[in-house]
Amino acid sequence: MAAVFNLNHHASYAHWHFISLSVPNLIVIVLALIVFVLAILVPFPKHGPGSQT
Amino acid sequence: MSVTQPPSPSRSWTLRVRERAVEALPPEKLLADEQPTYVASWIYVFGVLSLSALGVIILSGCILALKGPGWWHFTGIGHFFNSIHLWSVELFFFFMVVHLWGKYWMAAWRGGRRQVWITGAVTFLVAIPCALTGYVSQQNFDSQWISAQAKDAMNAAGIGAFFNLLNFGQMYSYHILLLPLAVVALVVVHVLLVRKHGVVPPFALSDKLAVETPASPDGGAARPDGGEAGAEGGAAEPDAGVARAGGEASGPAEPS
Amino acid sequence: MTGRERRRAEDESYRTWKGGYRPYDLVKEASVAFGVVLAIAVVLTILFSSPDEKPGTIKSWSRTDPVDFVTTATTELDGSSASGSYGPPYNHASGSVQHAWFIHLQRWLGVSHPLNTAQDFVLAPLRSITNQPALQSAVTTYQSASSSQQSAWTSAYEKALAKASATSSGQVSVPAGNYGPLPTMMPALLSFAQGGGLDGALLTSKQFYQTDYTKPLLFMADSADGAALANRAQAEHLLGTQWGMMNETGSFPGQSWLWLYTFWYQIKPFQGHNADILVMLVMGLLSLAFILVPLIPVINRIPRWIPIYKLIWRQHYRTAS
Repeated sequence: MAAVFNLNHHASYAHWHFISLSVPNLIVIVLALIVFVLAILVPFPKHGPGSQT
Repeated sequence: MSVTQPPSPSRSWTLRVRERAVEALPPEKLLADEQPTYVASWIYVFGVLSLSALGVIILSGCILALKGPGWWHFTGIGHFFNSIHLWSVELFFFFMVVHLWGKYWMAAWRGGRRQVWITGAVTFLVAIPCALTGYVSQQNFDSQWISAQAKDAMNAAGIGAFFNLLNFGQMYSYHILLLPLAVVALVVVHVLLVRKHGVVPPFALSDKLAVETPASPDGGAARPDGGEAGAEGGAAEPDAGVARAGGEASGPAEPS
Repeated sequence: MTGRERRRAEDESYRTWKGGYRPYDLVKEASVAFGVVLAIAVVLTILFSSPDEKPGTIKSWSRTDPVDFVTTATTELDGSSASGSYGPPYNHASGSVQHAWFIHLQRWLGVSHPLNTAQDFVLAPLRSITNQPALQSAVTTYQSASSSQQSAWTSAYEKALAKASATSSGQVSVPAGNYGPLPTMMPALLSFAQGGGLDGALLTSKQFYQTDYTKPLLFMADSADGAALANRAQAEHLLGTQWGMMNETGSFPGQSWLWLYTFWYQIKPFQGHNADILVMLVMGLLSLAFILVPLIPVINRIPRWIPIYKLIWRQHYRTAS
């Protein structure tokens, strides 16, 4: 089953001084930070998605 | 059925275990149908998301185990389930880290919840060798390289003497049985502790604290804490439920 | 009240919530969460699949770079290879033995996976080749010679291999010299490897059923020029000096949670001979600190001082006021 996007090629890397991060990893890390911030800032429904009211 | 005298509680292990379990976690606490009103942020869903990711890891892992470690290299369906297993691992760590960040900034160890933090931290740390043993069980170039490299760290710390990353049989056993059991056991304890102690209440906004007072019997809406209501120290206040500024014993609820 | 008493009282006040509750469906939330995560995993699978780079073999290595293979095999014979000179848990050498101050864990745990590289990687496989009396005679000559004679042969052969080249038929052409029985032994081992026999021989040397790849993997990892594994790893940014511990083959996300573990290998004090044990000790201590965050002064107060909690519980504080 072929994937929609073929990732079987060398990754690109982001360099900063001695730090070298693969772009896929950088995306995951940045995404985690964004998700954390959004989880705190995005308003929560008054009675919660699991509530019955 | 004949009526016989039950053994006295002090001699029956079964009764003692049952009574302790029910006392710590009555059914209405174990499977509560209510939650504190302050649980009102999306950050709270990352615990259950981490749990769900673990569930997907285990299910996909079981399917891979059904057909043996070589299957996924030779069939599309095998590769499909391997991919689900890999992505659910990425999701597990992703959700777990966001959950961890949230719990740190909430100082969720407060109020007798240190064990919740500790079991959570240990779960994270045990999940790492669980993932490592998975990576070296893939039986491809990645496994070869990771095992050849990581063996030096293991050997340097003496761990290589009894944990041989180059031994596929041993690594596979750790990965599909021993370490998942450890992770699941830790997660179960972690979740039961959360059910027992409840989700940590918010910080009091005031910097000053009231002296502890006997709680008033009225604590607001019914709560699933099986009789602890009013038994704890601290002013009973329907809004915040935490000791407030005042410096004096008792007093009516004050807005924060 | 002292500061400590006040902090204890504050902590006690958080023990039980005596405020309001609202209805909540725990089982429904867990079910929805499971469905969502399963869906995300399936979508990621359909979009990206997963990497599966074929493993290297001694067969492919010996065919692709026969000079490197023969050079590595010769260092196994005289024990100068990385495995041959490693130390515990493989043998009593000291080439890769690490310690941190008085902590000699590697030595203390001892030789638990004994390996004789000359015997296991070269002599025993050669002995298993039948119907080649000249080869068996050469092996006997080597084994009967004194250790200084053996060293003289292997040193001379290794020097010559530095100037050797691969022929079109995949053999190795070595400048003439006095190498004793090695010109008979090593080409035979090369042919054995190129036919796939050495992969199997190293795996099943203890018993029929085997799952322990220690020998073939160590042999490949010992590759003098990196042709077996290291060159490929470098191309994929998997070396220790490339933050490789975090990376995956191809363009897949790897193990970003290992960022702190691999970080230490990139900076000065952790790049010497004892790098591994030093990093393990540092990470062990930090892991312990992570577990004990609730007990560590200052660290356990930061969430109070930097009030991200005011954002998390803003709905609650608004309602309470």
